[in-house]
Amino acid sequence: MRIGIPRGLLYYEYFPLWKCFFEELSAEVIVSGPTTKRILDRGVQTAVDEACLPVKVFYGHAAELGDCVDFLFVPRVVSVEPRAYTCPKFLGLPDMLRASMVLPRLLSPTVNMRRNRRQLLAAVRQVAAELGAGPVKTWRAWRRAVAAYRRFKEFLRQGYGFEDAVSLALGQNRHLARQAPPARDLTVAVLGHPYLVYDQLVGMNLIQRLRSEGVRVLTADSFTPAEIEAKVRNLPKALFWTYEKQVLGAALACLDRNVDGIIQYVSFGCGPDSMIGELIQRWVRRKRDIPFTLLTVDEHTGQAGILTRVEAFLDMVARKKARSA
Amino acid sequence: MVREGGFPPGTGAMLGRTALIPSSLSHYVKRPERRSKPGSVHKDDKEKNSRDNEPGDAAMRKLYLGVDVGSVSTNLVLMDGSGTVVADVYLLTRGRPIQAIQEGIRLLAAQGWDDAQVAGAGTTGSGRLLAGVIVGADVIKNEITAHAVAALEMVPDVRTVLEIGGQDSKIIIIRDGVVVDFAMNTVCAAGTGSFLDRQAARLNIPIEEFGALALKSNSPVRIAGRCAVFAESDMIHKQQVGYPVEDIVRGLCEALVRNYLNNVAKGKEILPPVVFQGGVACNVGMKRAFEEALGVEVMVPPYATVMGAIGAAILAKEATGATGRTRFRGFQVASVRYDTESFECEHCPNGCEIVCIKMEGQLLARWGSRCGRWDTVPEEQPVRREASG
Repeated sequence: MRIGIPRGLLYYEYFPLWKCFFEELSAEVIVSGPTTKRILDRGVQTAVDEACLPVKVFYGHAAELGDCVDFLFVPRVVSVEPRAYTCPKFLGLPDMLRASMVLPRLLSPTVNMRRNRRQLLAAVRQVAAELGAGPVKTWRAWRRAVAAYRRFKEFLRQGYGFEDAVSLALGQNRHLARQAPPARDLTVAVLGHPYLVYDQLVGMNLIQRLRSEGVRVLTADSFTPAEIEAKVRNLPKALFWTYEKQVLGAALACLDRNVDGIIQYVSFGCGPDSMIGELIQRWVRRKRDIPFTLLTVDEHTGQAGILTRVEAFLDMVARKKARSA
Repeated sequence: MVREGGFPPGTGAMLGRTALIPSSLSHYVKRPERRSKPGSVHKDDKEKNSRDNEPGDAAMRKLYLGVDVGSVSTNLVLMDGSGTVVADVYLLTRGRPIQAIQEGIRLLAAQGWDDAQVAGAGTTGSGRLLAGVIVGADVIKNEITAHAVAALEMVPDVRTVLEIGGQDSKIIIIRDGVVVDFAMNTVCAAGTGSFLDRQAARLNIPIEEFGALALKSNSPVRIAGRCAVFAESDMIHKQQVGYPVEDIVRGLCEALVRNYLNNVAKGKEILPPVVFQGGVACNVGMKRAFEEALGVEVMVPPYATVMGAIGAAILAKEATGATGRTRFRGFQVASVRYDTESFECEHCPNGCEIVCIKMEGQLLARWGSRCGRWDTVPEEQPVRREASG
């Protein structure tokens, strides 16, 4: 049994969990390759016009997997914690896909933990039942998957790159070395959705580029959930988008760490991020004067424009730091 | 013309400038038509006498070359060690950056600067990589840093830089001599030089007179400036209803300023001294519209159109200061044959387009791949001469 997972959107949040779970249930997991221009082009052709870039990329990956799999795993993730929602596009993702292309059988459990965390287990049982697994096997698989997911998050927090954290969490390539210590005393936070900053094409290798400039890079994954939760609790109004909350919480947490600059990386047309960017700028300005820049990408974005801005931003951060030292 | 009076007396800058521009090219040259306070913004002092800027004498001085290759214009300056611009060239890129750079170098050489001792070269602008390879640059810098450095040189206490070029616009916030914030226009080029050029052409007004015409208006019409396409249809509508051209032109300037302040400069604290530079800074109508919108004086420095190149020259001076060596290939680059080739890499589905730059048939540099597979770092150029020698 082959289960296809498109390399997009929540893949960058939960992949080790999914992979471990399905493999424990004796299924074969097939992931589409890293995003390329061809995948993006396919996505742009099939997706609805108004969709944001990461959704278009997701379409491309789903099309890429096409009919070489028995199931396509596209969960309907409505809510992953009480009293909060995910992006509205995740709610309708399976329907959007189904409406615009011919797909293999969709494995599409609904995850809605808004009222009750235990709803997740119902979704897990539903998926396992569809794959024909019994309750004991399911339970064991789920426990191992959750453990892999926790390891994955911990490796990300320690500063491993996404690919490294995935393979470490899944017990592959254990010999991976830690990142070389940065050459410069400069820390820059790259905040944005994992499916933007970790994506090979959409992310423009921003993190690697900064690292090769000798900069220490933090992402939203560098902070513990508790740290982020503590920060957003102080906001005048509770934020009810889970993934945006992580970005904003990380930005606020940066104010307490020794961070020299914050880059927010968003895709054009992202509704929630348009608000979060505004909030981040306000709070950053109010609390402490850390240089902040917003980089917006869409499918027409050339690398040149992004690189010019990043280069100028680094110049600014470095010169400012040298001056205040 | 106004420009003659615009320069502080005795700077001698005009000698370099006027002499440089052959009549065939004079229509490319945009100059500031009016300046707010020339004395306060120009670094030159009275001791410098005009002969300093004649090529013959300059042969003894160390000069720094700055090249700014933008989407619309290609600018070159020669600056001496004290920060005085001795020569500047403003050319249209016309989609052929290599030719534009070579033409610029040729113009400098034609004025006798080829005997001058160039101790460093820097490039900036969207074509900075290409320009860097062609002239042999010691430093290749983004245009934001270059513009900030140049503004700080011209107006040391500057706190806000407004820059509007051919296809982009930016704002740079400076506090205590350090850039603390900047922004560039994102996807939209409304309000940049290209759009003004196009509207001037449509109204059949020479772009040089566009600003002056705007100043004649007493009651500007309101034009929707959020988007270039809407602005144009709005202008056409206003013109068909019968509003005078000068009112429309001034309305357009105000609309573009509004758009700039709401878009690029959104959320930025604009404090004086405000310096306005880039090609559009020559447009007095835009300058006036900025002053009215901001309620502060807006300074247009001399050489406002070539500030990027000045910044590149200053950065080149910094970069070569320690070693005293330069990679500058010399003025003969104007007559060397450069070719470019491109092909599509078939190694992965990204299909990157790889560009090869060749000098006299020899591969000079290659770039364009996402993975870096084809990139060749431009080789260390043989040092032409010791800058001190």
